[in-house]
Amino acid sequence: MNDIRIPGFKRRKKATIVVDETPKPSQKMVDVLIVGAGFAGLGTAIRLRQAGVHNVVILERGTEVGGTWRDNQYPGAACDIVSNLYSYSFAQNPDWSRSFSGSGEILGYIRQLVKRFDLERLIRFGQNVTGMVFDEPAGIWNVNTADGQTHRARAVVMCQGPLSNSSWPKIPGLETYRGHKIHSARWDHGYDFRGKKVAVVGTGASSIQIVPELVKQAAQVKVFQRTPGWVMPRPDYVSPEWSKKLFARVPAAQSAFRELLFWVHESMALGVVWTTPMTSVMERLMRMYLRSEVKDPWLRRQLTPDFRLGCKRILISNDWYKSLQAPNCELVTWPIAGMSPKGIRTVEGIEHQFDCIVFATGFDVSKAGSPFPVTGLGGRNLDSDWARGAQAYKSVNVSGYPNVFLTFGPNSGPGHNSALVYMEAQIGYIVRGVGKLLGEDLAVLDVKPEVQKAHNDEIQKRLRRTNWNSGCKSWYLTEDGFNSTMYPGLATQYRSQMARFDGKAYRTVPMTVREPV
Amino acid sequence: MQLELDKMLAKIKDSQWALADIDWDAPGRELVTENKELYPKLKAFMADLMWIEHVGARGFAAMAKKAPTEDLREIYRYFHAEEQKHANAEMALMKRWGMLDDADTLPEPNINIRLVVEWLDTYADDMPLSVLGSVIPMLEITLDGALCKFLLDTVDDPVCHAAFEKINADEARHLGVDFHVLEMLGHGPLYRQTLEFVAKLLDPRLMIGIASYLPLLNKMRDNLVELGLKEEKLYTAVQKYERIGGTPGGRRNPWFRLISRQGRWVIDRANRAYHVPVDALVKLTAKIPPRALPPVPTWVKQLTWKPAA
Repeated sequence: MNDIRIPGFKRRKKATIVVDETPKPSQKMVDVLIVGAGFAGLGTAIRLRQAGVHNVVILERGTEVGGTWRDNQYPGAACDIVSNLYSYSFAQNPDWSRSFSGSGEILGYIRQLVKRFDLERLIRFGQNVTGMVFDEPAGIWNVNTADGQTHRARAVVMCQGPLSNSSWPKIPGLETYRGHKIHSARWDHGYDFRGKKVAVVGTGASSIQIVPELVKQAAQVKVFQRTPGWVMPRPDYVSPEWSKKLFARVPAAQSAFRELLFWVHESMALGVVWTTPMTSVMERLMRMYLRSEVKDPWLRRQLTPDFRLGCKRILISNDWYKSLQAPNCELVTWPIAGMSPKGIRTVEGIEHQFDCIVFATGFDVSKAGSPFPVTGLGGRNLDSDWARGAQAYKSVNVSGYPNVFLTFGPNSGPGHNSALVYMEAQIGYIVRGVGKLLGEDLAVLDVKPEVQKAHNDEIQKRLRRTNWNSGCKSWYLTEDGFNSTMYPGLATQYRSQMARFDGKAYRTVPMTVREPV
Repeated sequence: MQLELDKMLAKIKDSQWALADIDWDAPGRELVTENKELYPKLKAFMADLMWIEHVGARGFAAMAKKAPTEDLREIYRYFHAEEQKHANAEMALMKRWGMLDDADTLPEPNINIRLVVEWLDTYADDMPLSVLGSVIPMLEITLDGALCKFLLDTVDDPVCHAAFEKINADEARHLGVDFHVLEMLGHGPLYRQTLEFVAKLLDPRLMIGIASYLPLLNKMRDNLVELGLKEEKLYTAVQKYERIGGTPGGRRNPWFRLISRQGRWVIDRANRAYHVPVDALVKLTAKIPPRALPPVPTWVKQLTWKPAA
């Protein structure tokens, strides 16, 4: 395991914060408050503690850890990044059962993290954050939760996740439908699909995993598609026993494999992030895959994307095309006019009637607004500051909101590599930032506005040359086409920018008033 | 004619209707079924009308791939579906009037429709917006418009009128967008328009398309005249295309010029230079055995008269 203790991280003498590992009453002040007990929140807690920051509390609105992977337990749910890379390098798992593990196994891994790093006692479940306000003179954040508690912290790490709020589509008459409704992120495991007529709305990353499973059970499945995505096959395999044994005995072998996977993904950026000859080659290969799977020219036309590869998320599946051609499955590409008590009315005038409608319509990704009210310096409001699109410095800090750190903040999303690679880089940066805040006993650690602006000007300039900004509509962009989601570069570049915490980019104010602990 | 396409798109979305909104079993069926003289002619007419709508739908599907803006792309997606809805509604009328041989069988398309379907399936997606965007308004205003008007003048069944009230409201929006695009297509330097026009005319794929389209028009005209439609009404419809499309931008569009001129030739029976070869094509195509053509594309099989599925 890596040692990430921060060099020079020693508290000044006057900072008499007692390292106390026992759970604290929620109203007591903590050094670091983490919002969310998903991958990012738990990873941050692990690395903070490894760096010597122990006075940490995690607020979790649910009753269990796991975040996105706890919520997304629909049939067929799996990660589309190889598990050896979709896990923490500092907590590798030699026992992955498949190359692309299912959501249950990933959730199991997250639970193991809690056990292995003894995180359970840091987590306060059922704590839904409703807002937070910065007390500038004291250098403390007051974080309010739905049950009326106020948690106080020197630093807050917002790990609520970009994919945490399920999004229902804006379909006229949605509320009039009287059949059963299921959202992919809130799966109803008690519903029996056998013999039922089922609709699946949406053809994104969740849908292409759900439909092949539903086709095996339901009497009829109709899939409503607005825009087809680029689909590539998934090199899925059962992990051989010898590799599990090897990785368990020689962790360096697993690290080497992980490194190989990293560079394979990294090379794909050349086709996915920017338009290059490799983009055309990859598009051609995916068209060939489509042609080999779908013989009917009209269905193939319906499934052929009309945007550049990478502009929207690439879909990875071995059974999506096969499922759509199953005798009990039909692809509907007519626009949806609205919903009726019995089903979905499409613009070609037909009412498609169903027992159950599955909405695989993704998440309400916060691109222009904060997930809950955040009040920073001088009463400024993050929602207003982000009204025209979220911006931050290196995706982690926002000027005017001192001592707050974000995971998967603005312009941190990967299009070609594992989210966990980016997450680890963010966590490392946050640990260094928290180290500076506590080590130098600062009341305020606030990124300078001109630094943030220069960073974002550069990001937006670079984004203009990427496939995400090449003209298609996607969840990466706001309604106005502003991209506050993706990082325009290689994961290597991202890691490099996060490797150093540049203190000069921040305005600091030393702590003058100490709160009793 | 200038439109704000975003507002038009919102209006289109707000104006949706479904086959289920019409009571297809309401009284009045006998006004058609008991008219022994009208009935057989109307059966052929309805089949033609339904197929014309369906062919128009496929044209819009191709245009959706070419549209230069997101709003226009979305509008064409809707128009594709709405033309399909019109074909479905017309098929539902045929079902009401007992004109379908079998509940699950489509009316047989005539050979010229069949050839146009083949051409659309093979080449429509390769045609530029300038060609499709100029020919679709002509089809909509002459065939669709004149046919619908004629139908309402001829048939008294109130269900038919209820259906066409909705169809015509859709068509009015289609024509609004059609002529907006026709105007838009005339923008740009004239020399470039002319060069592109000439280059495209020499495209063998387009030549095949023209060779399928011309006999279809003559065949339709003959069918209509046989049914009792006055040729003047077609003439009025062609004039309407010229009048509305003849904006400064429209007149700069060589495709508009060609299609207007060709429209005049179609209705001028004295123009032997046009009609002798085209009528010969109609006769020639009539000799093509149906089995010589490949199976109908699967997009045709999406047609249905059933309001619920």
